[in-house]
Amino acid sequence: MRVRPPKALRKSIWVFHLNTGSCNACDIEILDVLTPFMDAERFGVKLVASPRHADVALLTGPITRETLPKVVNALKAMPRPRLVLAIGACAVGGGIWHDSYSVIGGFPRLKKILEENGVIIDRVVYVPGCPARPEAIIYGLAVLIGLLKKKVKKEVKEAGKGEG
Amino acid sequence: MVKPILKLITVAKEVGVVTRKYPYESPLLTEEFRGKIEIDASICWGCGACVKACPSNALTIRESMDVMELVYFAGRCIFCGRCADVCPTGAIRVTKEFELATDELEDLEQVVIHRKVKCPICGKHFVPQPLEKYVCEKCAKGEIPTYMMVCPECRRKVGVKKMIRCKGG
Repeated sequence: MRVRPPKALRKSIWVFHLNTGSCNACDIEILDVLTPFMDAERFGVKLVASPRHADVALLTGPITRETLPKVVNALKAMPRPRLVLAIGACAVGGGIWHDSYSVIGGFPRLKKILEENGVIIDRVVYVPGCPARPEAIIYGLAVLIGLLKKKVKKEVKEAGKGEG
Repeated sequence: MVKPILKLITVAKEVGVVTRKYPYESPLLTEEFRGKIEIDASICWGCGACVKACPSNALTIRESMDVMELVYFAGRCIFCGRCADVCPTGAIRVTKEFELATDELEDLEQVVIHRKVKCPICGKHFVPQPLEKYVCEKCAKGEIPTYMMVCPECRRKVGVKKMIRCKGG
């Protein structure tokens, strides 16, 4: 099922790889996505060296206190619409560092800090996984640019209902 | 100039096309691959063994007055599968689902709601119903002692009273 992508993303999307203190596993998976094997260039994805050229920031890591000002600056430099693909368990919810003293703990908390600094993020897509598979990253990109629809949904179950 | 290109063409011919057409074909999954977990609410006791085993606190217990909720947040999960190993009933199953990309964090949550048992003496809610049922089945075959169904605090009080009576109070 194809969904029409938003206007700013109908052409090739350029991505900027933003490591915010991750363990490099997600970074290696991102490299995997760009190799001929998974070949994200089929969708026009190109890695660029500056956030000023990028449409999407591939954010990995739990955002350590050391990297926080740099991350805010890098995201500030991106042109609107500002899109972020939060890759890996660390970027989504803090991962195993979620309550550590030296990290901010995932993108949702960074978003609040960004809002305080006047940086608006137009769309975020979270890609869980530790590390996220290359296929999962491609799926996340497809969801971000509107090629595919998301599959997951919140589930609420009542215990002991099956037995009656 | 021509020679290396010719060499490259021969190598490329030998190797063929390696690119996978992923969104349009099935992903490359091995047998051992672990993805998102699925909790079978009909078998889950709410014992909390998985919560203790979870290294990243993706599984947490949310307590309120008469309800205990087992919350699984896939966004923080590292897919180690330890919860499935320790689950005494086998309610947790590791699936191969990895396409979890979403734009809302709420979508990644899975909640299992457990109703708690009410204590007949003080009226406080304490353990989840299925867990209490299992303990009753295991510990007392045939008749169920009266102190089995009361909360730990009341049980202690009842026990102390009984002891005093035995000592000749």
